[in-house]
Amino acid sequence: MDRPRVAIFDFACCEGCQLQIVNLEEELLELIDVLHVVEWREAMSEQSREYDIVIIEGSITRPEDEKRLEIIRTRAKTLIALGACATIGGVNKLKNNFNLADVKQCVYGKAANMPHLDTAPTKAVDEVVKVDYKIHGCPIDRKEFTYVIRCLLIGKRPEIPEYPVCVECKARGNPCLWDYGQVCLGPIIRAGCGARCPSSGFRCFGCRGYVDDPNINAAKDVIERYNLSVDALKGKMVLFGSGQGPTNA
Amino acid sequence: MSIKKLKKDIFVHFIDNLIRTVKVIGVQAKGERFDYGLLASAKDLRLDYDVTLQPPKKYFLPPVETLVTYEVGDGYSSQYDCEQFVLIGVHPYDMVAINQLDELFRQDNVDSHYFARRDNATIVACDVVNPSKNVFASSMGTATVKNGYDVLLTDIGDSYLAEAATEKGENLLAKAAGAEEANKEDLNKRQQVWDKNEAGLNKHQLQCKVTDLPRLLGRAYNHPVWEEKAKTCFNCGSCNMVCPTCYCFDIQDDVGWDFITGKRQRAWDGCLLDGFTKVAGGHEFRKKRADRFRHRLYRKGKYVPEKIGGQIACVGCGRCIDACLPDIANPVNVYNRLVADLGVK
Ligand code: SF4
Ligand code: SF4
Ligand code: SF4
Ligand code: SF4
Ligand code: SF4
Repeated sequence: MDRPRVAIFDFACCEGCQLQIVNLEEELLELIDVLHVVEWREAMSEQSREYDIVIIEGSITRPEDEKRLEIIRTRAKTLIALGACATIGGVNKLKNNFNLADVKQCVYGKAANMPHLDTAPTKAVDEVVKVDYKIHGCPIDRKEFTYVIRCLLIGKRPEIPEYPVCVECKARGNPCLWDYGQVCLGPIIRAGCGARCPSSGFRCFGCRGYVDDPNINAAKDVIERYNLSVDALKGKMVLFGSGQGPTNA
Repeated sequence: MSIKKLKKDIFVHFIDNLIRTVKVIGVQAKGERFDYGLLASAKDLRLDYDVTLQPPKKYFLPPVETLVTYEVGDGYSSQYDCEQFVLIGVHPYDMVAINQLDELFRQDNVDSHYFARRDNATIVACDVVNPSKNVFASSMGTATVKNGYDVLLTDIGDSYLAEAATEKGENLLAKAAGAEEANKEDLNKRQQVWDKNEAGLNKHQLQCKVTDLPRLLGRAYNHPVWEEKAKTCFNCGSCNMVCPTCYCFDIQDDVGWDFITGKRQRAWDGCLLDGFTKVAGGHEFRKKRADRFRHRLYRKGKYVPEKIGGQIACVGCGRCIDACLPDIANPVNVYNRLVADLGVK
């Protein structure tokens, strides 16, 4: 088959998800064998034609980034959002909880008003352009990434779980962390990570985003049953739940 | 078939010897809870457990398994697990669940992957010593069990009584050096354990006969309880995942990097999950939470019984009650509510 032309662009993020790709080791060779990577983290070169697959890493935090992303979209046949920053805004959405002028002052101090440090509320990629596929997680799961790429190459829709983390957690035979006083977000967060955190004894903090239809009534009910307050839950949600809506796979 | 008495120290030797010759899976402590696992030593075996986190069905129907590997244009080959193993400590209610799965997987197309594992298993069931906090097996008629196992163990104080029910079981017990024949008094003690469990594994009392359930549900389809309970349902599927009689699965293909070879896998699925009833074209025929919530209790109390000669497909293990964070999954609460509102006819 003709090798599809692939480009990877990054916006606001830690590049941890790209690192996961680089760390694919022997599978990376297979990947490079079947893909023709034309841009990697660089600015678009003017002569670039269309891309078959564009991978966007990171969230959108500045007005000029929105414009850049829109242009990229016009050249992309298929666009994938890679990692929590791109799929749900990720950690970067924390700043949306505060007044933006204060955030700038705090981060940049005196330089806060320089034009190149202009900032806007953080957006996930699909708040700016249409996203065809999302590879969730902070960082992404390497196996899921390669599976999605293989699916795209044979023209099949990848199956990304619609069900919550509890399914994978229970299938692994874990005792529930709520019984040990942890506020685990597993019942409302999309599975696919193999219940990575609860399986090591840490609560799920929601890096894969909400399931399509999270039941907020149920969450409130459980909080009451465990004698917690809604504020306590909100406190647990800031890292990955800030201003986030359900993430459609 | 024979009934032996094994003093507890003799039992320990018997198990340790067994571990040297065959793969042995047994119930062990897992934190403050219990679960099945590969047994390294008889001292890890905890036959005094209350309930295991997962039911033993995963040894016959694993959470994920490869059914076939294929090569595009060159056929496929079925994958079977053919390792012999001994499964020790299956409580009666879980044994009843395995008996039901046997019946279901034998219907229509015999599930050869399930039976490859099932046929290689020797099951040592074990009567309950300590009831769990949500067990209601007495209500469901599953507190004791009379068939399905190869050996049944009963703790009668300083010894185990071990009854072989099959040739596999006889062969297993033949390896127990120092076993005595059980006498009449031993059998009386075992009967006492059975009598106690038949009444006492009952933290939730069903207010009708189990055999009334299919007819009761036949009149309950539009009852408000489904909406009321489902309001706080996460659709997290925990009640499905921990259930010894849930057997739904999903099948998916994954192709390799050569785009020629691949494998077909099946993984547990659950009727409470959003997307469970999605079919080609994106249509979903049980889109509402209440419909999915109702479906599980209909499966347990009506639909599956219609396939297996009226046996109720809830064995009263209580695991779904433990697992459900909003505490709505308890089948007895729902069935009793229907009994109260609709009466038993
Ligand atoms: S999703 Fe997480 S790992 Fe990936 S780029 Fe963002 S912060 Fe880094
Ligand atoms: S620990 Fe978290 S993910 Fe696991 S079952 Fe409990 S709530 Fe669900
Ligand atoms: S358990 Fe939750 S926080 Fe941990 S990787 Fe999975 S989705 Fe992310
Ligand atoms: S009934 Fe409980 S355990 Fe079952 S899906 Fe609903 S919330 Fe989860
Ligand atoms: S429905 Fe609940 S109590 Fe009944 S067998 Fe399943 S998990 Fe056990």
